[in-house]
Amino acid sequence: MIKKIYLIGNPNVGKSVVFSRLTGVQVISSNYPGTTVEIAKGYLSLDNQKIEVVDLPGAYSLDPSSAAEEVAVSLLKELPKEEIAVINIVDSTNLERNLLLTLQLIEHGFPVVVCMNMCDDAGHRGVHIDFVKLEDLLKVPVIPTCALTGVGIKLLTERIKEAVSAPNERITHQARWVEIGKIIEKVQYLEHRHHTFREIMEDASVRPVTGLLMAGAIIYAAFKIVRFIGEGIINHITDPVFINIYQPLLEKLSSRWQEKSFWFHLLIGDLIDGRIDFKQSLGVLTTAPYIELGMVLPYVVSFYFILSLLEDIGYLPRLAVLLDNLLHRLGLHGYAVIPVLLGFGCNVPGILSTRVLESKRERFIAATIISIGVPCVPLQAMIFGLLGKFGGFYVSGVYLVLFSLVIILGIILNRLLSGYSPEFLLEIPPYRFPPLFMLWKKLYFRIKGFLIEAMPVVLLGVLFINILLYFKLFDFVTSIFAPIVNGLFGLPKEAVVALAIGFLRKDVAVGMLMPLGLSPNQLFIGATLLAISFPCVATFVVLAKELGFKGLIKSTSIMLGISVIVGALLHFTILR
Amino acid sequence: MKKLSLVQIKANEKVRILEILGGSNLECKLLSMGVYKGKHVVKLSHIGLRGPVVIKAGRTILALGHGVAEKIIVERE
Repeated sequence: MIKKIYLIGNPNVGKSVVFSRLTGVQVISSNYPGTTVEIAKGYLSLDNQKIEVVDLPGAYSLDPSSAAEEVAVSLLKELPKEEIAVINIVDSTNLERNLLLTLQLIEHGFPVVVCMNMCDDAGHRGVHIDFVKLEDLLKVPVIPTCALTGVGIKLLTERIKEAVSAPNERITHQARWVEIGKIIEKVQYLEHRHHTFREIMEDASVRPVTGLLMAGAIIYAAFKIVRFIGEGIINHITDPVFINIYQPLLEKLSSRWQEKSFWFHLLIGDLIDGRIDFKQSLGVLTTAPYIELGMVLPYVVSFYFILSLLEDIGYLPRLAVLLDNLLHRLGLHGYAVIPVLLGFGCNVPGILSTRVLESKRERFIAATIISIGVPCVPLQAMIFGLLGKFGGFYVSGVYLVLFSLVIILGIILNRLLSGYSPEFLLEIPPYRFPPLFMLWKKLYFRIKGFLIEAMPVVLLGVLFINILLYFKLFDFVTSIFAPIVNGLFGLPKEAVVALAIGFLRKDVAVGMLMPLGLSPNQLFIGATLLAISFPCVATFVVLAKELGFKGLIKSTSIMLGISVIVGALLHFTILR
Repeated sequence: MKKLSLVQIKANEKVRILEILGGSNLECKLLSMGVYKGKHVVKLSHIGLRGPVVIKAGRTILALGHGVAEKIIVERE
C-alpha cells in the first residue's frame, strides 16, 4: 500500500517540472541546480486515492554531503519502505552520472520507478538510449518522459504501483561506477557529431575572455530590455489607463465629498492645484494603487521576464563561474550570484535561496549583503520614477553607492567573521530552450505572487499612515528623530515618516518622499538611505527565520550603523 | 610521468585523474558527481587570478573553485 511518493534525482534534472505535472501544483523551476530549497508537497490521485507527493531537493547520492542532500535522505527514511514509492528522475542527456543515485536507491531497497526525463533533448543531442534493455538490467520500471510537454507522465503514474523493494548487496561508489560503465555500454549509443552552435556558445560562456565579453553584453542588454519593457508598459498601458480613465472617474466620484474631510483625506488625499495627482495625493484610492500598479508592476513584469528567461536558458551558473573570483574576496563563492540576482527581484526569495550556500558564515554574509546593497524591483522602479527625470546621473549614483557598499562590507565581513567559506563546486547545465508557455507560466506565477503579497500591505499601509497623519500622531516620532534626519542626513523632518514607512514597504516609502518637494540631491540621499537602511517587514521575517535571533540582531545593527554613516557622508559631501 | 594539478595544465588538455587530495569529504563529493581516480576529464577553461577551473567529465560540466582544482592531481595522456 503506497502512502507517499517521493521524487528524487540529481540536481537540475527537472524534478519540479515532473512534480507540477503529477500534482498540478505550480512550483518554480529553473535551469540551474538548487531551485528547490523548500520541500514542495502535493497530491496525486491513484486508483481513487489521494497520495501525497513530495518533491525532494536534488541529490547526487544517498550519502549526504550537502545540507540539501541530508534533508532528502532523512525524509526518505521517514516511512517504512513498503509504504512508499520513489520516482527517481534521471536526466536522459547525462545517464551515466545519474545512474549512481539510481543504483544506490535500488541497493538500499527503495521501491523505485525510473523516470527518464528530457528524452527529447537527449535525441537532439545525439544520445540514444535503449529503455527496454535498461529496464531489464536495472530490474525496475523505466519510463521515458518529457515533463515539459507532458509526454510519458500518464504511463509514469500507471506504473508507480509496479515499484517493489528488491535490495541488493551494497557496494562502494568506485565499484558502482564500474557497474555503470557496463550498463552504459549496453544501453547508450552516442551519435558522432560535430560541435553544434549551442555547444560552442556553452563553452565560450565559461572561457575567460569570451565569457566576460558575453557576460558584459548580456547584463547590459538585460538592463536595457528591462527598462525598455518597463517604460513601454508605463507609457503605453498603465499611465493612459490611470490618467485617461481612472482619474476622471475618481474625480467625478470624489466631487461630491468635501475636501479636507476625514474620508476624503483617507481615500483621495490632498488635491494638487485642485486636481488629483497620483504621485503626490497620497490617498488609498489614488497614490496607493498608482505606486503598485502604475509604477512598480510594469518593472516587476519586465524584470521577471528577463530573469526567468536567463534562468531557463541556464545562463546563471555560467555567470557564477565568471564572478567566483570577485565573490571569493567577499567570503562567498560564485554561486552566491543566484541569491543576489533573485534578491534584485525581491529580497525575500533572495534571502531564502541563500540556502544554496553551504556554510552558516556564507549565508550570513549573503543575507546581510542582499538586505543592504540589493534593492528590490519595487524600490528600483520607484527610484527610476523619482530620480530618472533628473538624469541618469542620480540613478547610477544610487547603484554605485550600493555596489561599493557591497564590496566594502563583504571584504570587512570576510575578514572579521570566523570560520571559512567552502570552495565552489558546481555543475554547469547545458543551455536549454524551454517552450514559451513555460516562461509565461512562471512569469504569471511570480506576478500573481507579487500582487497578492504587495497589494494588501500597500492599501492597508497607506490607510494606516493616513489615519496617523490625519490625527497628527506622527508629530511625536518626527520631533524625536528630526535632529538626526535633518542634522545628519540633511533631509526635512517630514522625511522621518518616509524612512519609518520603509519598514512596511520600500516602494511606498519612496512614494512618501515624492510630495515633499526635495531637491535632486536630497532625493538621492533619501532613496539611497531607504535602500540600505532597515529591511522591509517581509525581509525582516525571513532574515529572522534564516539567521536566527542572534544573526538577525547582528545583521540589523550592521544595517543601521551603515545607514547612519552613509547618510552622513553623502550629506556632508554632496549637500554642503 | 609528471604529476600535475588541474590548475597547472592548459585548457583543452585531456588528462586522467591520479589522485584527489584534501580529505575524504571532497573525494566523496566529487565521486558522487562522477569525478574519481582513473576518470578521464578535459579541462575546458580556467578563469585567471585564482579563479575557478571548468572541466568536462563524461557529459557533465563542472566548475571547481581554485582550491579544489589544486587538489586534483592528474597525468597527461
